[in-house]
This record gives sequence, structure tokens and C-alpha cells, in this order.
Amino acid sequence: MSQEAPAPAPDRRRNRRGAFPRKGFRVFGLGLQDFIRYFFGGNASFAIIVLLLICYFLAEQAFRFFPAHRQGLKIYREAGQEFVDQIKSELAAHSRLGGDLNIAYLSEVNASSQREDNLVRALQAVQTAVEDRTGHLSERLEDARETVEDLRDDLEDAAADPAKTAELQAALAQAEGRADALAPQWHGEAEAALDDPDIWRLDANPVKLTDAERVEIRDAVLRSEPGLDDVELPFFDALRKTSADKKAAAREGYAEFKTHLDALRGAARPLQSLSGDLVDIAAENRQRLDKFETAPARRRALLEGAEATMDPEERARKLKMAEEVVMEAPDYDALARPFYDQVAEHGKLAAQVRAAVVTAYEALPKPDDPAIRTPPGREKLRAAAADYAHLMETLTRVEKTLPKWRHDKPVSRTRGVLMFFAGRDWVTNSSWHDFYGLLPLLTGSFLISVLALVVAVPFSVASAIYVNQLAGRREQNLIKPAIEFIQAIPSIVLGFFGILVLGSFLREWSQGQLHVSPHGFVGSLPVIREIFTGICGFLNWVAQYVPGFPMSERLTMLNAGLLLAFMTVPTIFTLAEDALNNVPHSFTEASFALGASKLQTILRVVVPSSLSGIVAAVLLGFGRIIGETMVVLLVAGNKIQIPDFRAGLGVFAQPAHSMTGIIAQELGEVDQGSIHWRALFLVGMVLFTISLVTNFIAQRILAKYHVKA
Amino acid sequence: METAMPEAPPETIPAAPIEPAAAPPDSRGDIVVEIDDVNFSYDRKKDVLRDITMDIRRNEVTAFIGPSGCGKSTLLRCFNRMNDLIPGAAITKGRIRILDTNIYDPAVDVIELRKHIGMVFQKYNPFPKSIYENVAYGLRIQGIRNKSVLDQAVEESLVAAGLWEEVKDRLDASGLGLSGGQQQRLCIARTIAVQPRIILMDEPCSALDPISTTTIEDLITRLKDQYTIVIVTHNMQQAARVSDKTAFFYLGELIEFNDTLQIFSAPHKRATEDYISGRFG
Repeated sequence: MSQEAPAPAPDRRRNRRGAFPRKGFRVFGLGLQDFIRYFFGGNASFAIIVLLLICYFLAEQAFRFFPAHRQGLKIYREAGQEFVDQIKSELAAHSRLGGDLNIAYLSEVNASSQREDNLVRALQAVQTAVEDRTGHLSERLEDARETVEDLRDDLEDAAADPAKTAELQAALAQAEGRADALAPQWHGEAEAALDDPDIWRLDANPVKLTDAERVEIRDAVLRSEPGLDDVELPFFDALRKTSADKKAAAREGYAEFKTHLDALRGAARPLQSLSGDLVDIAAENRQRLDKFETAPARRRALLEGAEATMDPEERARKLKMAEEVVMEAPDYDALARPFYDQVAEHGKLAAQVRAAVVTAYEALPKPDDPAIRTPPGREKLRAAAADYAHLMETLTRVEKTLPKWRHDKPVSRTRGVLMFFAGRDWVTNSSWHDFYGLLPLLTGSFLISVLALVVAVPFSVASAIYVNQLAGRREQNLIKPAIEFIQAIPSIVLGFFGILVLGSFLREWSQGQLHVSPHGFVGSLPVIREIFTGICGFLNWVAQYVPGFPMSERLTMLNAGLLLAFMTVPTIFTLAEDALNNVPHSFTEASFALGASKLQTILRVVVPSSLSGIVAAVLLGFGRIIGETMVVLLVAGNKIQIPDFRAGLGVFAQPAHSMTGIIAQELGEVDQGSIHWRALFLVGMVLFTISLVTNFIAQRILAKYHVKA
Repeated sequence: METAMPEAPPETIPAAPIEPAAAPPDSRGDIVVEIDDVNFSYDRKKDVLRDITMDIRRNEVTAFIGPSGCGKSTLLRCFNRMNDLIPGAAITKGRIRILDTNIYDPAVDVIELRKHIGMVFQKYNPFPKSIYENVAYGLRIQGIRNKSVLDQAVEESLVAAGLWEEVKDRLDASGLGLSGGQQQRLCIARTIAVQPRIILMDEPCSALDPISTTTIEDLITRLKDQYTIVIVTHNMQQAARVSDKTAFFYLGELIEFNDTLQIFSAPHKRATEDYISGRFG
């Protein structure tokens, strides 16, 4: 047997590799297939790892906001700022009441001479418009007239010097000649301008001019040539005098109103001065506490700086400064003492305010008083009634809470969290105290999103139904790419459009001022101009009934909402169309076989079957809207304030700020690691959570109600 | 997507021919569907059906058999003009008369036509609605809202489809929650709820297990008393069991059409014999 041993050796080797040996290279037992597999797998997991890292980083930065925030609130309390802010809230309520009442008063008084004032304003408006039209000529004429004046003055001064006099006279004659030549030219142009009816379109001025008044205005404009001072305009001087007289008479009629109003507004003066004193003390306290708070960090920085400098002189200086950093704790009780001392005084003053305000307010007319004739007057009095209730509430509340205030009461964790999530103010970089309240941003974001959805959903779902169910192939090929193309518009471009075009259009429309410019392209086409004029008229008429109109702002939630709606249409459209497309053909077939018409099939079978997909599409659209930044930042008006919901649907005509916008706007300017920085991260976290939840729900809906073919 | 749906003008069907089920000469054996030398094409180039001539008689079950792609389903779908949903598909020669009306006449309202010709599909396809709504659908789209009328129609249809006992306690449950055989019977109930004259069945049992198939076959035999049924099937035993007449199609042509017994015992044509004995197809 032993001599046969060498022969089977190659056989054994072959046997070890088996009958079907693997080919190709192998490293650590891994073949090419495995490496390809790991390459693709690695790419997929890389994305997931990055996502997890981002989540971790966001959360870590964001959640460290809370301790810092709590510390800030603690200092706010220890410095006495919390105490002072309570008094300030009383004063704010008081001044709001006084302000509204004052506007009501002024509105009543001014109403007496409204016609006259409007006429004077109309003259000014026409004059400005004419000046704009004749711009270049007016300037030259004015210059010429000024030169004439200057030369005349010089001539008087130089009366003793005959040589100079002669020279000046020559110059004067030349200047006068120039002015006299320009004057008729200007007249010509001014008259031409006055003949243009566009000039008489008096923006936002409700006055209806009679023909006689038009003539007066025309005459006055022509007479007040540029550069001429003291032109006598008897008609308008009379108007001004009448206006003043009427106002004086009206003031007399409202003398009682004015007395009570003044009493009411003056009642808070002692409280104001108390508050002013305390504000100074609290601000000083705050500075001291902040200094103490940052002392270790400053000292450390100085010492580190000293380590790093080579220059011995500089090093000595820095070490000395580090020595000088005050590290001792301030005497908190002493800091707070002035406030405790003033509690009784405040109680007294607040009681005085209350008594005076109650007396004065009772004596003032109420909104339904027949003596109040103007709608704005009534409206402001109604607002004042609410202000009054609010003031009384505030006074009662502060009266109770102020004596119980303790500077050393610890700030609870819940309060720190609540002050963020339910905080009504977002105030940063303030010299007083920074507030980080989410509510204004959250409401802004939500209102804009809701508006955008309300507008976008019908449009996109209806187009999806049309394209998927009714349109011919050629229409499909036209509409689908067109709608999907909207997605390709950079949002900055849309924002730009929103500011310049949509904003102006909305404001003009809201004021009922839409018109076809006779100088534009449309204005030059005969029939189309008439059609557009009709449309404008109709829109202007509609504008009266739109809540929140007229708006004084161009940048509002309405503007942002409309643009965002436009941006979301492709998202919702595409997903809804997919959902409709996923409805099994057998459903439509069955419906047709039962004798249903196309429309019945769509409404009773196709749409209900794809409803879950449509809902998911809407949710994903919402996710897109709430995360959109650029358009909102540019167009929403960026006013950090909880919108006034008393306006009803008109709330959308107000400007607002958003969660995305605030991050984009402020993140570049904050110090890394500061509380403000962390607050912005936390806002980002909130956004992230909202998007995550929305997406999650959408996916769940899709998975749960997915109809199998 | 069904894009072009050449629907006839909305004038209703000519008054005479299609009348409610109780027209007097309602005796078994009348000609209901009269197919006269029909060619059909999906693209107007190649005819997938050629020279088809046959009559389908009242209260009989007519089975269409033949290998895949022989055109039997296409012919079935001509009867209720479901082929209209396919752009370009049309009859290129001949006429189909149902109840003495040329159904491709421009004056025929296709919606009205389909109300009289029900269809059961190969794959059961109840709507994602409740059992009740599935059955009531055909009536609802005809504008019937009266609850008691609907209740009665739903019950009668479910009873006729042999499903009532199984679902009477859960009419509000989704139709998609039933078993396959039950879903197919639900589709049959949905079809007969609108009281059609003819029921077209396109391989109704091909997606079902043997037991459900037996149930459906029994149902077909029972329904024969009230309806004229045309059934397309790949299952020759099934054709033999349920049908009175059998038509054998091959490559778009009607090879043989005769009494089922005759076809299965002594077919006249060689091709038929080859097919039913399993030599091809």
C-alpha cells in the first residue's frame, strides 16, 4: 500500500476542492461577489449612519438648551426683572387702553372735517403725481428760480460795488430768461399730465371730486409752479381754515371725552415713575449677576491668553486682569431688597390707577353711544372695552402675585420647558432679558401651512383626477410635465416673485385699487383691455367682502401661503396621481360593467379607493410646506408676534414669522454654544419632529389602507 | 388609461327591443344574442376574430372553450362593449344583435346596454366597500336611494348568489375580507342585483379552489332558470358540467358550436376532438 501513496496525492488535492471548485480570487475567504455586495451595502448604511449622527447631534445640542434656559430664568428672577415685568404688564395694559381710546377720540374729531381734509389730501396727491410726471422739467425750473433768488440776494448785498452789480445784473437777467423760458414748457407738460385720467386716480383716498373741485385742484396745481414760494391758493386756504375751525368746534363737543381720556391716561404716571426706577435697579442687578455668572469663564480665558502670549508685558497685564475678575458671589438678598420695599408702594399706586381708570372709563362713551359716529371710532371703543377688561384682570392678578414674589424661589424644570413651548414672546439680543417662546413661530408656521394646504389640495387633487381619469394622452403629456416643472423653480425665485409681484397685487387688490394701466401692454389692446378692466372691477368688488382686507402690508401670511400652495401643488399632484393610478383596473372595469358612467366610476369607485393615498399625499405636502424656508423667510413679513386671532379669517392678512425662517435668519449671527444658539437648535428639533410624525403617519396610512389589486 | 371611450349620444336605447325581463314571449330557446359574421380587431390591422356566426339562446348556459388567445374572451367582451375601453378596438365586419338590437348602432346607449348585460370577471373584484354597498352599487348608480328597495334587492341578490346565510350578520364588513369564493359570489350578487338579461362570465372559477368552484358551478346551474349565461372557461370538465351549448374557438375562428353533449361525446371536427381530448392547447 505504501508504494501507492504518492499517486493519489493530486487526487486528494482535487477532492479537497470538491467537484465544483469556486473560481476567481479570494481574500480572507471572501470572493468578488461578497465585495460587490459589501460595497452596495456599505453605501446604504453610510446614509443611515449619517442620518443617525445628525439626529444625535441635533438632539444633543437642542436638549442642552433647557438647563441653560432655566439658568437664564433664575437670573431673571434674582435680578428682580420678573418683578418689574409684572408692573410693566400693568402699564402695557393701561397704555393700550389709553391708546385705543385716544384713536377713537381723534377719529371722532377728525371726522368733522373729513371732506375738507380729503380735498386737501387730494390736491397734494395730484400735485405729487404731476411733479413725478414732469420730474426733470420741474427740477430745472426749480433750480432756475433758486438761482434767480440767490442772485437777487447777492445783488442787494453788493449794492455798493457798481462793477459787481453790473455783472450780477447780467447774470440775473440770464437766469430770469431761463426761468421764463422753462415756465411755459412746464405748464404745457403739467396740463398734459392733468388731462390724463390716471393722475386723478387718488390712491386710498375715498373722496369723490365734483367737477368744480377738479377745476380748483387743476388751477391750484398749475399755479404752484416749482420754485415759487407763497403761492396764494384762496380755495385751499379757506378749506384749511374751515377744517381747523370744524375741528376746534368738534373738540369742544368732545371736551368731556377729552377730560376723562386725559384723566385716564395720566392716572398711571406715578406707577410709571416707580416702574422706571425699578427698571434701572433691575437692569443694574442683571449686569452684576451676568458678570458673576461669566466670571470663571472670563478668568479662564484671560489665563489661557496669558499662557499663550510670548510678550512678558502683555502676559503680566493679562494675569493682572485675571486677578481683578470679581469672583465673589453678590449678595442676592441685598439686590432684591429694593423690590420688597416697593411692594406696599406698588399696591397703593395700583389701587390709585384702578380707581382713576374705573371712574374715567365709566364716564366715557360706550361703543353703542349715538354720539360716536365714525366706524373706526366705534371699533376702537369696542377694542377699548376688551382692553379695559384685560387691564382690570392684570391689575387683580399682579396685586395678588406681587406680594408673593420671592427672588430666591427656585425655577422649576416644568416652568423652564413651558416657557419655551408655551412662551408667547421670542425676544433676542435684548438689553433686558431674552425670551425664547415658541408660540409665535409655531402659530406662524401652522397658519401659513394650513392656508397653503387649503388652497393647494383642491387644485392638486382635481388636476390629478383630471389627468389620471379624464384627460387624453396628449393632454396628459402636456399637463403632467408642466405641473412637475413647478418643482424645478428655485424657491428664491418664487420668493422674489412673491415680494415684487404677488405682494403688490394682493395689497392693491385688498384696497380695491386694481386697474389696468393704460401704458402697459394689456392697456394697449382694445378689447382685452375692456375685459381686464371688467375683471379688475369684479375683483375690487369682491375685495370688500374678503376678511382682513384692506391690508397695509405686502408681506403677509396670505402671500406666503399662496406661494407655498403653488410650490406644493406638484408634490400633492404627483402623489395623488400615483394613488389614483394604483386603483386596480378591475374596479373600474367592474363599475363600467354594471352600467356606471365615467363620472360615477370616478366619484364612487376610483376616488374612494385611492383616498388613503390622497390623504397621504396631502400629509406629505404638509411636511414639505412646514419645512420650506426661503419663501417664508422672504415673503411672510417676519414679524415675531402671535397673530391677532380676533380678526377671524382676516388673521391671514397679518405678517408672521416661522420656525424655519427664524433659524435661517438668526443662526448666522449667534455665538456658538450660546443659549440662543441652542434655542434655534431646539426649534429645529421641533420642526424635525413635526416632519417625522407627519411622514410616519402618511406612511402608516398608505400601508394600512393600501388596496391590493 | 381608457382615453377614448366612444360613447353613443345619450339618447336612450330604442324603445322596443330591450324591455324589462317580463316581456311576453319569454320562453326558453328564443334567440337572445345573434352574432352575424363578425370580425373584430384591436388595432384595425389584424383581425383577432374572424367570420363568427352563432346564436345564443334564452335561459341556456353557453360555454366558450378554446386555447389561450383564441378570441373567446374578446367575443364575450363584445357583448357588453367592454372592448370600447380599449382605444382602437372595434368590430370590423358583421353585426351583433342582442334582443333584436344592433348593439353597435350609434343610437345605442352603452351605459343602458351594460345595465342589461352583467359581467363576472376572471379575478373576483369586489369594490373596497362593505358587502352591502357592493351589492347596492349598481342600483345606487341608477339613482335608487330608497332604503327599503335597496335592502330588499341586496337580500334577494345575496340569496340568489347563495351568499346570504354566510354574510347576513356582517353586511357592513368590507367585501375584501371574504374568502376568494365568497368574493366571487359577491360579484355575482352584485351583477344580478341590477337584474340583467344576460350574464357574461369570463373564466369565473379560474382563481378559485375546487370547492369554491363547485359552489359557483351549482350557482350557475340555478341561475340558468332566470338568466341567459355565457361562460368562458379553460376547464373542459366545467364546460361539460354546467353548459347546454358549447362553442369551440381556435385561432380567432369558431370551429364548432353545438350541444354540449354532442361536442364532448362526438365532435364533428377533428380540431375539437384533439382539443377536448387534450392533444393540444
